[in-house]
Amino acid sequence: MESHALINPEIALLWAGIAISILAVVFWPNRGLWARWRRTLQNTRRVRIEDALKHVYDCEYKQLTATHKSIAGALSISGDEVARLLERLEGLNLLRSEGEMLTLTEDGRAYALRVIRMHRLWERYLADETGVSETEWHYQAEAKEHLLTIEQADALAVHMGNPSFDPHGDPIPTAAGELPERRGIALTQLRPHQYAEVVHIEDEPTAVYAQLVAQGIHPGAHVRMISSDKNKIEVEVEGVENILAPIVAANVAVVPVGRVTRTEKAGATLADLAVGESARVAGISRACRGPQRRRLMDLGILPGTLVTAEMRNAAGDPTAYSVRGALIALRKNQARMIHIERNGANGV
Amino acid sequence: MNAISNDDILLKAGNLRWEVGENLHDSLMESLYTEASRIADRVVTRSGAPGRFNWDRALDKLLTGRWTGFPIMILLLMVVFWLTIAGSNVPSSLLASLLLDTVHPVLRSLGESLSMPWWLSGFLFDGVYLATAWVVSVMLPPMAIFFPLFTLLEDFGYLPRVAFNLDHLFRKAGAHGKQALSMSMGYGCNAAGIISTRIIDSPRERLIAIITNNFSLCNGRWPTQILVATLFIGALAPPALSGFLSASAVVAVALFGIALTFLTSWFLSRTVLKGEASTFSLELPPYRPPQVLKTLYTSLIDRTILVLWRAVMFAVPAGAVIWLISNIHVGELSIAEYAINWLNPFGLLIGLNGVILLAYIIAIPANEIVIPTILMLTVASTGVSGYGEGAGVLFELEDNLQYLSVFQAGGWTLLTAVNLMLFSLIHNPCSTTIYTIYKETGSVKWTLVSSLMPIAMGLSLCFLVAQVWRLATAGG
Repeated sequence: MESHALINPEIALLWAGIAISILAVVFWPNRGLWARWRRTLQNTRRVRIEDALKHVYDCEYKQLTATHKSIAGALSISGDEVARLLERLEGLNLLRSEGEMLTLTEDGRAYALRVIRMHRLWERYLADETGVSETEWHYQAEAKEHLLTIEQADALAVHMGNPSFDPHGDPIPTAAGELPERRGIALTQLRPHQYAEVVHIEDEPTAVYAQLVAQGIHPGAHVRMISSDKNKIEVEVEGVENILAPIVAANVAVVPVGRVTRTEKAGATLADLAVGESARVAGISRACRGPQRRRLMDLGILPGTLVTAEMRNAAGDPTAYSVRGALIALRKNQARMIHIERNGANGV
Repeated sequence: MNAISNDDILLKAGNLRWEVGENLHDSLMESLYTEASRIADRVVTRSGAPGRFNWDRALDKLLTGRWTGFPIMILLLMVVFWLTIAGSNVPSSLLASLLLDTVHPVLRSLGESLSMPWWLSGFLFDGVYLATAWVVSVMLPPMAIFFPLFTLLEDFGYLPRVAFNLDHLFRKAGAHGKQALSMSMGYGCNAAGIISTRIIDSPRERLIAIITNNFSLCNGRWPTQILVATLFIGALAPPALSGFLSASAVVAVALFGIALTFLTSWFLSRTVLKGEASTFSLELPPYRPPQVLKTLYTSLIDRTILVLWRAVMFAVPAGAVIWLISNIHVGELSIAEYAINWLNPFGLLIGLNGVILLAYIIAIPANEIVIPTILMLTVASTGVSGYGEGAGVLFELEDNLQYLSVFQAGGWTLLTAVNLMLFSLIHNPCSTTIYTIYKETGSVKWTLVSSLMPIAMGLSLCFLVAQVWRLATAGG
């Protein structure tokens, strides 16, 4: 009966271990053989051409000069490869090089704008309709921009209601390739006590971008300069004080505004409300987007709405609020997105 | 006045697009909503004096309180389960004696009197009819009790409070508090549990709830757990304690299922489902007296009948397959015996056997028929005499000793029993559930994930347990 004895458990475990190791080596996310192979397939000639055009265009837009060196840096390729790439681009009549200086031809500019359009549309899509985190938008769009066809990009734009800006505040080129002038000044240039609205955040380098996201800075946010010097910049972001390094703050573009809406002056959010307290909603933060934002509005959480914190879970999260006669539980990370005005609720 | 050409208007509009910025749509919507609410506030008068004693809040304090919330929740759930198990015993055996012991022989003799060929009456009555009748008699009574009770609690407004109480646990696993409800519903039937995930409005959390619902030990799997635990685990303890030990083993498996739900939710929300959109909100409706008759009607129609109908639709072909593979012979052996012999080495490797694996393959339509199928296949393949009613005919045994002797003839050990209990918890969902997952998600991808992930987990776990078991017992 003991046919079990035929199977040696040590050998079975050994084989299983080997099988798992092989699977791990092949399918490990991002670093496995499968992921590498996919990346090599994608990293075609087309990708290099498009990335080079984008780089040159970006330099022109920022009124910098694109050079062989800057291309080599941006695409992480060697000088020889840059030379071959430029030769090909000139052959395709997309680029002209005069000595070290590179300029785009009309065709090259149109091509670059198409790629940028796809990139920014995809970022917009990720931001509005998926739960992909902020720090991954750019990375994913970098791959997707080379894969979308023009028709797909147009369909995506129509589906999202022809958005004009990507989630970092960069304008999305229209299908005809139109793009407005660059707006805004660097955050560092703001005078003390001046109010401004964030219009753009540079999404590279990633580490700086992640820091800005973590500090609650996002396009649409209202900021007030408190003080700035060579070493640090103190700003109020949606009512909360933040300290930034000048090099970080330089990646944020703002447009000064004269008057400040109720939303951003308030500072306090729904998460600060103690059980039994009431407050009026001042607004929903711009960082809350897409379906999440619509959901809150559907529930009737709008500027001026009276909200009372009714009860809190024993573990501290979620909290139930009474909103327009209904009892709605929200988690802390959502309640933080809703700015409130406490004095407005007095006497109600 | 100069006429303005269309081109001018378009150009102007195009330029304005950049100036109004990205917030136009939102601002527009916000001001529309705000204006609407302003009008409503002005013209709608609300009755009811403020400051009056609020029943809802008082009840909420009790049901979601720090010290009272959890005990009340556990008590209510236990009452629901107890009513279901105690209440369905009698109707289940009534149905079984009617459908299996009375109607089945009648049908057989009807076949004989019509001088049907043996294969036709065998296929129709022993195969298709018997499997279907089995599923109906085991499934219908508990579902007809469990679902209305659940719907009553929902109607009263209690279930959203459970979600509120448990939300912080589910939040840590990346899931929605309402998953507590679809999970409990899954103890009745996974297909119904998956339908009930409709209450989760956030796309990502809903998918998590759908994929992990299979780890709620459903109605059809409890009997397997209880039988195997009684026969093999209970026997380890002295007679006075054996009942307690086997019950603890079943509870341990169910708790392990809950642990797996959290673990898998956590894993899914950080890997494959990371990119799905999430919108959390939990409405806590006011309490109201449940509408008993309406509830009975809707829960019977919406849940019980719908699920039962799907189960029957899948049991019919299963019955046919069971009968056919046991009765079609190729050379010396039936197809079933070939399959068992072929599956046996792998089955033994992971601490099960070929019969169990084959039973789980042909019982994909309904977990209820796993044990009868295992019995039938064991008797057929080992040639134990004195049991059963012929090839491809499902049957039950009178008492536990008979079960034990059949299982021992099949070469079962304690390891087989433990792994069968684990595998019964962690294997692919039944075909009714798989179909429901497809209907609810509308996606082949997620249907495949929710079907293949648990089977891979179950096989790996059984494999691991078997090897560790053998290493431990070989040493001792």
